[in-house]
Amino acid sequence: MKTENLMEIEKNKLRSAYIHIPFCKKICSYCDFCKVFYDDKKAKKYISALEKEILTSYKNEPLETIYVGGGSPSSLSIENLNNLFKVLKRLKLKDSYEFTFECNYEDITDQLLLLLKKNRVNRLSIGLQTFNSKYEKILNKKIDKDLMIKNVNLCKEYFNNVNVDLIYALPDEKMDDLENDLNEIIKLNVNHISTYALIIEEHTILYVNNFKELNDDAQSKMYYKIVEKLKSNGYVHYEISNFSKPGFSSCHNLAYWNNYRYYGFGAGASGFINNIRYDNTKSVDNYINGKRIVYKEKINKKTEINDYVMLSLRKINGIDKLSFKNKYNKRIEDVFDYKKLVDDKLLMENKNNLFIPSDKLFVSNEIIIRLLDSYILNK
Amino acid sequence: MEKENIRNFSIIAHIDHGKSTLADRIMEKTGAVTKRELKDQLLDSMDLERERGITIKLNSVSMVYKKDNEQYLLNLIDTPGHVDFSYEVSRSLAACEGAVLVVDASQGIEAQTIANLYLALENNLTIIPIINKIDLPNANVAKVKKEIMDTFGFMEDEIILTSAKTGVGIDELLDAIINKIPSPKGSDTKKLQALIFDSVYESYRGAIIWLRVVNGKVSVGDKIKMLSTNAEYEVVELGIHDPKERKVKTLSAGEVGYLCASIKSVSDIKVGDTITLSKDSATLLSGYKPMKPMVFCGLYPTESNKYNLLREALEKLKLNDASLSFEPETSTALGFGFRCGFLGMLHMDVIEERIEREFGIDIVATSPSVVYEVIKTNNEKILVDNPSNMPSNEKIKEIKEPYIKTNIIVPSNYIGQVMELCQEKRGTYINMDYINETRVNIHYEMPLSEVVYDFFDKLKSFTKGYASFDYEVIGYKASNLVKMDILINGEIVDALSVITHKDFAYQRGKIVTENLKKLIPRQLFEVPIQAVIGTKVIARSDIKAMKKNVLAKCYGGDVTRKRKLLEKQKEGKKRMKRVGNVDVPQEAFLSVLKVDD
Repeated sequence: MKTENLMEIEKNKLRSAYIHIPFCKKICSYCDFCKVFYDDKKAKKYISALEKEILTSYKNEPLETIYVGGGSPSSLSIENLNNLFKVLKRLKLKDSYEFTFECNYEDITDQLLLLLKKNRVNRLSIGLQTFNSKYEKILNKKIDKDLMIKNVNLCKEYFNNVNVDLIYALPDEKMDDLENDLNEIIKLNVNHISTYALIIEEHTILYVNNFKELNDDAQSKMYYKIVEKLKSNGYVHYEISNFSKPGFSSCHNLAYWNNYRYYGFGAGASGFINNIRYDNTKSVDNYINGKRIVYKEKINKKTEINDYVMLSLRKINGIDKLSFKNKYNKRIEDVFDYKKLVDDKLLMENKNNLFIPSDKLFVSNEIIIRLLDSYILNK
Repeated sequence: MEKENIRNFSIIAHIDHGKSTLADRIMEKTGAVTKRELKDQLLDSMDLERERGITIKLNSVSMVYKKDNEQYLLNLIDTPGHVDFSYEVSRSLAACEGAVLVVDASQGIEAQTIANLYLALENNLTIIPIINKIDLPNANVAKVKKEIMDTFGFMEDEIILTSAKTGVGIDELLDAIINKIPSPKGSDTKKLQALIFDSVYESYRGAIIWLRVVNGKVSVGDKIKMLSTNAEYEVVELGIHDPKERKVKTLSAGEVGYLCASIKSVSDIKVGDTITLSKDSATLLSGYKPMKPMVFCGLYPTESNKYNLLREALEKLKLNDASLSFEPETSTALGFGFRCGFLGMLHMDVIEERIEREFGIDIVATSPSVVYEVIKTNNEKILVDNPSNMPSNEKIKEIKEPYIKTNIIVPSNYIGQVMELCQEKRGTYINMDYINETRVNIHYEMPLSEVVYDFFDKLKSFTKGYASFDYEVIGYKASNLVKMDILINGEIVDALSVITHKDFAYQRGKIVTENLKKLIPRQLFEVPIQAVIGTKVIARSDIKAMKKNVLAKCYGGDVTRKRKLLEKQKEGKKRMKRVGNVDVPQEAFLSVLKVDD
């Protein structure tokens, strides 16, 4: 077999699966993911539908990562959790794997953690968002700082790989508020932290209630504060919004950022198989009734390269030039004419990598657009 | 037809006073068209004219009218109703012996009523004043009658009352046309002198000349000569419009019609020129002036690959519009485009709109400029129609700019506001005529550049829309002018340079830099915007560096959504022009025009 074909196979190998559980006991005001209120019967049906989808599409590849996200997967009853894991048993894992399960901190109990552990889960992701109880109403989310601390610590007794999410740039948030949140999160001493600036998306409660995002200058200041503070506390900044203790970066998210192939199972999930990107229906009822893919696109070579660049530049190390060459059989400098961007200090380059300088991460879109615009292949 | 039974006339009026409807009614009355054939405002043949309710290109129509067993040939020569085209109006009027002066029964005399009447009087025409729209509920016939008598000196019994809409008074008007307007004077036996008052282009026959034979005869097959250019042609076709085209063998003194002579473009034809026979030349009729564009601006395609399409569009428009001029121009900011010359602002607007509408090309127009006369320190005189071509200040001895004299008719309670505005626009007061106790005609001398800039908009807002405005160009005067450049991120943006009076430069610079700051999105670095005269910075504002443009959230594996967000941003950028390192939206180039202070 030609090396090119081998590369094609290697490139298209499925390594990951995302499973969406669209149920929540309470709907947070900022959430625009696919979700509905928890209903035990509906959840049961949903899990059966999930099983059907897996049986139809999954080709028994041993996977490197599984990510169960939501909604709130931890909102499922013990019975439904057992049903779910019975289904997920069908997914094979490699010897070394990462299996993440998203939890609402209020749901965390010894019983739950034991059940997860028994079912191959080895990483937890907990959406804390903020410790600041003044946001309880605005976010439509219970904010009990003591319980947060207690339950995260409980998680750490069972799992050594725990992520917590932090949202910043909340309505009216001040630098002091952010500092308090950061201090608390650092005290938790978890291995992974994800931080996101609040986006007020259309169709969210926040949008309907006419809340406005903080201005760009304030957001930017907060972002760089977070980077500085977490780095000085032993975290590695490895992706625009993600930080980890050395060796604990998220393999599943890296799969996205390396443009690897992955299954997306469940309502509202997205997947990437061979050269097809697809989205499942966002309607939980339709999904239960057997509806699956509602959007599908074939990724041509140019789009594949553009996606690769767009996603890779989210990583602090940016594009690995050797991987690029191995994947696409071309040197990146033969595909993009980015010299001016390097001259203008919008990109930085060393022997192995092409990346966005740390002080420009918060305007990375501008730089990515320019780089994509410098595409010179087939011109 | 006997010369004694020919009447050549025009209808002159302020915009919207009902000129075109009146023409329709006359055609209907004379049987030139039936009611069924009569589209509203038959003479306005371009869609855009009909939409704007104005006549841009003139036409003429010949009608046979029977009265007392006698047949008369009425030639109605239409005129464009806008100050931009006043030279063309004056040539159309020169082809007539009389004019019907239309005044709206509710509006009274307006600025163009006066301007057009003076043009008619300069051409020694017999005037028939009429008050139109007398059927309107707010018609005030007595008041308007008094205005016409007081302002122009007509007698009460000379004024005819009409409603072009209902047909009232049209018979009386036709009688007056026959009885009062003299028949043409010329002689068939003299040497040929035919006045060109219009031309239109057709792809099959080429340029078609509209003419009035003043003396002599012209026949198919004759060799003719244009007296201003000495160009010679052979007459291929002659005819009249009644209003359908009807070919004739000969046109004689006093007659109005069209002439085809295999002329490739209307640019070869000068309105106001005289046609004579090659073998037996006469002299040029008086009143000929070469047409000169008064206002210039750069037109650039929004998408640079449309440059050739834009050139084709301009070429096609020019085929039928000799007063349009254009030549290629390059701007560092806007790329390749054309410097275009127009008779005035309306002419410019119409051409721009036609390019976008009829040819489907999006264009960016730079701020319009008048033509400056510059005397350099070495006493060389140059004409500058593009601010970016203005020599540097130390090389300039003197700059002269075109001046106009205004007719501004307003209710007298707005006199104060109008005078304040004119003063602000560097106007010099001349005098004021009372039309009646409540309305005045205010005369100022003012630089044309102020009119081109924003005078008309301001006049409307200062007078709540009650003012009517018209002007005539009176010549060049020296002014204390300077060229103001705009620098974006240290680079001169040629398309934004303007010439302004020194006293206004500071204020204008401040407004322009502030406007640009609002219109140009934040960039990856701080961008200073400066207004400079020579090397001196007179105004500055800074666009702060962009602080955020990132997809902070992961959106699960939904890469498509991420890509689409980026593509949307990319599209937005495409609509901007890159100046140095800065993305400038198209609107920014117009911001030098919009000055709301």
